Amino acid sequence: MSIFEYNGSALVAMVGKNCFAIASDRRLGVQLQTIATDFQKIYKIHDRLYLGLSGLATDAQTLYQRLVFRHKLYQLREERDMKPETFASLVSAVLYEKRFGPYFCQPVIAGLTDGDKPFICTMDSIGAKELAKDFVVAGTASESLYGACEAMFKPDLEPEELFEVVSQALLSSVDRDCLSGWGGHVYVVTPTEVTERILKGRMD
Amino acid sequence: MDLKKDLDAPHSMGTTIIGVTYDGGVVLGADSRTSTGVYVANRASDKITQLTDNVYVCRSGSAADSQIVSDYVRYFLHQHTIQQGQPATVKVAANLVRLLSYNNKDMLQTGMIVGGWDKYNGGKIYGIPLGGTIIEQPFAIGGSGSSYLYGFFDQAWKDGMTKDEAEQLVIKAVSLAIARDGASGGVVRTVIINSEGVSRNFYPGDKLPLWYEELEPQNSLLDILNASSPEPMNIQ
Amino acid sequence: MSKSAVEVPPRCGFSFDLCRRNAMLSEKGVKAPSYRKTGTTIVGLVFQDGVILGADTRATEGPIVCDKNCEKIHYMAPNIYCCGAGTAADTEAVTDMVSSQLQLHRYHTGRESRVITALTLLKKHLFNYQGYVQAALVLGGVDVTGPHLHTIYPHGSTDTLPFATMGSGSLAAMSVFESKYKEGLTRDEGIKIVAEAICSGIFNDLGSGSNVDVCVITKGHKEYLRNHLLPNPRTYVSAKDYSSSKKTEVLLTKITPLKEKVEVVEGGDAMEE
Repeated sequence: MSIFEYNGSALVAMVGKNCFAIASDRRLGVQLQTIATDFQKIYKIHDRLYLGLSGLATDAQTLYQRLVFRHKLYQLREERDMKPETFASLVSAVLYEKRFGPYFCQPVIAGLTDGDKPFICTMDSIGAKELAKDFVVAGTASESLYGACEAMFKPDLEPEELFEVVSQALLSSVDRDCLSGWGGHVYVVTPTEVTERILKGRMD
Repeated sequence: MDLKKDLDAPHSMGTTIIGVTYDGGVVLGADSRTSTGVYVANRASDKITQLTDNVYVCRSGSAADSQIVSDYVRYFLHQHTIQQGQPATVKVAANLVRLLSYNNKDMLQTGMIVGGWDKYNGGKIYGIPLGGTIIEQPFAIGGSGSSYLYGFFDQAWKDGMTKDEAEQLVIKAVSLAIARDGASGGVVRTVIINSEGVSRNFYPGDKLPLWYEELEPQNSLLDILNASSPEPMNIQ
Repeated sequence: MSKSAVEVPPRCGFSFDLCRRNAMLSEKGVKAPSYRKTGTTIVGLVFQDGVILGADTRATEGPIVCDKNCEKIHYMAPNIYCCGAGTAADTEAVTDMVSSQLQLHRYHTGRESRVITALTLLKKHLFNYQGYVQAALVLGGVDVTGPHLHTIYPHGSTDTLPFATMGSGSLAAMSVFESKYKEGLTRDEGIKIVAEAICSGIFNDLGSGSNVDVCVITKGHKEYLRNHLLPNPRTYVSAKDYSSSKKTEVLLTKITPLKEKVEVVEGGDAMEE
């Protein structure tokens, strides 16, 4: 068993026209036993920046705490929010520090830059950044997510369309993964508002 | 997959290296093959590295380890030369190599032959094998190809050779080892050090003597295929 | 020194905190995840007035292609670039680290960086970590002493060559170089051979794929040709857009308006104190 399969997760982020969506499943399990069905995998860093953490849940929460701590130090020192690019470099550095004893987490970072341009990025567990122009995925359902997104994504979607595409991609992918599912959690972020939706999904 | 493992294998020099003293100086010789597993990573490498103006070293074993040792020794010798105001002796150079090899013997996988000329002792060869022993010898051989050469050197090495005799001996020996040792190959490089200075020579693989069952060099199939009249099969 | 109550961000170096836990997990049969690798074909050659580097653009994680168009030619200094193969995080980190050291060195000396300096810094780091930092590099650049091309292996050994290949596609690429390279190539001939070598990696090695990146460095000038060739365009674009028959079922929606960004427009008069 891979350590990523211990808790199970599915994460996806997609770029639209001046907006982005980040979505996750809601299951927390211990191998095949489901522990919770309302588990948070997407965390807000600030209004326009979100972080999704897949992989081992204990490491995800520890990592989240460390990143929030570092972000707050930055806010105090700089009196501003971090840019998504800067935050991605921070996450990368924090992960690479543990190169030889990593956190078992694969993060997904999505945010709006100062010019309201969407930014999405994923990493492996030791902080190798992958900046994408279209979509990024992570978690146990990543293989089916790659396929679903590859087929369904198209550039410059409006927020509502983007929500449909990302939700359908997520739900169809987690249906083929036993370790993730139980509905979805989708954030669509535009320059003016954040729409957070809970999706209904299969309960098996 | 085997090949994958080979490409990840440490870069090492299955080598033939030789140092020979003659009347008035030394001749150092080496092949030029560097391999990672079964892949030849570099077919024209230079395993005879300069330490000072008058001292060179032949490297064998792990490429990374031998490079780092020779880099450190070169650095120490430069300092030493400045402090003393005169060139370092071969003995000092060899002792520095020994010191690093011996002190870090658990970490290092490298055998070296230090050779050079100085005004106090003339031409000298020092062999420094794996554990960090130092042996002053009239001739020294090392690397994976050396096992094919011990008997040959016992027979062919003579006291008081001339410079040319010594160089011919080295070329002959390296080419013999290249013929029999799969981990040695490419070209033969020699370095001759004596009171007059240093000269470096290069003997390409197709100019080396041919030994038992070896074939004459011939054009590669690629040349035949690219030739203007493509008739490699001319049946009469 | 007493340990402070809060964990202050460390300044540098690796942390081995989780090693024991992770070793315990792997002893219990839990596999550690695979890292992102660049299976990679990377090459470089010296031509008549400089150096040309080339790379494919595929990143893999096990058998999965996780990036179809990544950048493997890293910036080291204005006159030096470096292709990286191996674990993506390591090639990225080691080249970033050395390029910042080179920048500081330039501030200190006020001179252009030399390729040998970059080489020494890279091999020093890689030798220190005894091959555990898995970065195989092709370093190329033009400095005051002319064009240089080196290869650096994960264990810290280096070679100086007129043409070099690295990564899983190195055999395919080397076969092109061995049959076509000659001394004194022109710029166009050089780019052509480099592109051909990368293409042979792209098509014959499963770890390499997608596009060809090329970087040409000459005296006082460089040209980064990102996606110089695109030999693998997408062929399966569906004519019809994706559309679902019915809308996704939503259980709960929460809309948070974001605060308008307030733009301060400077008035005509300067503020009075």
